[in-house]
Amino acid sequence: MTQAANLGGLLLRITIVTQYWPGEAVPRDPGDARSPGPPSGLAAQIALVARGDAAAFDAVFEQIGPSVFGVVKRVIRDPAQSEEVTQEVLLEVWRSASKFDAGRGSATAWVMMLAHRRAVDRVRSVQAEAERERRVATADIPFDEVIEAVESSLDRERVRRCLNSLTEVQRESVTLAYYRGYTYGQVASLLGVPTGTVKTRMRDALIRLRDCLGVAE
Amino acid sequence: MRKLTRASQRDEHTLAGAYAMDAISAPDRERFERHLAGCQECAQEVTSLREATALLGTAAAEALPAGLKERVMAAAAVTRQQPPADEAITEPHARTARASARASASARAIARAKVGSWLRSLTWPGRLVLATAGAAAAAVLVIAVVFGVANGSMQQQLDQAQTSSQQIAVVLTAHDAVMTTGPVTGGGTATIVMSHARHALVFTAQGLRTLPASRGYELWLIGPAGTRPVAMLPAGRHGMTGPVIASGLRQGDHLALTDEPASGSAHPTTPMMLDMAL
Repeated sequence: MTQAANLGGLLLRITIVTQYWPGEAVPRDPGDARSPGPPSGLAAQIALVARGDAAAFDAVFEQIGPSVFGVVKRVIRDPAQSEEVTQEVLLEVWRSASKFDAGRGSATAWVMMLAHRRAVDRVRSVQAEAERERRVATADIPFDEVIEAVESSLDRERVRRCLNSLTEVQRESVTLAYYRGYTYGQVASLLGVPTGTVKTRMRDALIRLRDCLGVAE
Repeated sequence: MRKLTRASQRDEHTLAGAYAMDAISAPDRERFERHLAGCQECAQEVTSLREATALLGTAAAEALPAGLKERVMAAAAVTRQQPPADEAITEPHARTARASARASASARAIARAKVGSWLRSLTWPGRLVLATAGAAAAAVLVIAVVFGVANGSMQQQLDQAQTSSQQIAVVLTAHDAVMTTGPVTGGGTATIVMSHARHALVFTAQGLRTLPASRGYELWLIGPAGTRPVAMLPAGRHGMTGPVIASGLRQGDHLALTDEPASGSAHPTTPMMLDMAL
């Protein structure tokens, strides 16, 4: 309880102190992520990539590359490793473009899933041992860095607003899981709450985010 | 009893959020995916939650480091793409087997089955690495299986194929990888992706003239450190040759290509058809 209150204070402070984040003027595909229905620009490009179209791959890069790098770096932190994983992810987009199925979500969601999952897998394989010990020892995670990532981005007012609509504990769970790459079990152990509670929080939080962001169901 | 089942299903269902954020251990992920396969409602929910998490990701977008795009584009140029069908992994290698005219039909069938199941048993990164290396590694595998190489030695061949694939992947994704192309005398274009940091390069060529069976293309590193044979190029497929890795690059090296007896030479015996400063 005390911990939650402290976190609340920290979050509030960080929300007020908005920081400049380098490299934030990034173009991104505005429509795609919200519309899993008709094929958007990115989905159409990926269909062309599946046929070996290098120009389309270039276009995919322009559209989603910065997002891939951003999320990978948020999870991995180390710039060199992040760059490596970003390359692997984008090369995988090239390689497995034919596996993208527009009927099962947007192209943005597909690429971001590849990116996030790979980043998380990298972090977990590297840190598996060390992390298990550390997560018990250090309760004082730099939440500021996590929140900062979202709070400071210019183009992301909507995401920021929706994250703010979450309860304190929901937001914690989402940021720890998504931006730090922790499992729900690790989050539960960090926050000192039962795993069942964390699972519920994560699902409730994402449902609320989804509804706030206007993602089609 | 019934109540319990429903309760455990509900419990399973709450994993949708954690799953959509990859906040789940590998065994849990597998278990939940089995659950998803039989629960359309859950699958729909996961899809919609993934859209929300994707926005969390795009919100973190950051300008790409210089050169990253060029490196990936260069790697893509020599990376085989997966075909859409389910036969994705086995089919191209089966084709390689067919190309091996000396193998009997039944041997080919065995090769296809064995290579296929071996490939399916690979973990995902293994597949990527293998696909990156493309034909070269696959050819070694197929030859090993088709000609029934004894077990120990076959394992060795597989290890070699995998090592070479990994080396290739390492170069292609190296921080300082650069791509260069150059014309080959007598026809064709050579493309190399080189990493000075890794002291290695990956060589591929398009449209090389087909040589008589008794001859082959040999790749060389030539420089102050001497003339070193790199490898005999494998036979081209669909006009593409390679990829072949050349490691141990030294300062001042050139990459050269000559026409040599199929068994290879210790020193170039014919004029250079390619001479690229590295």
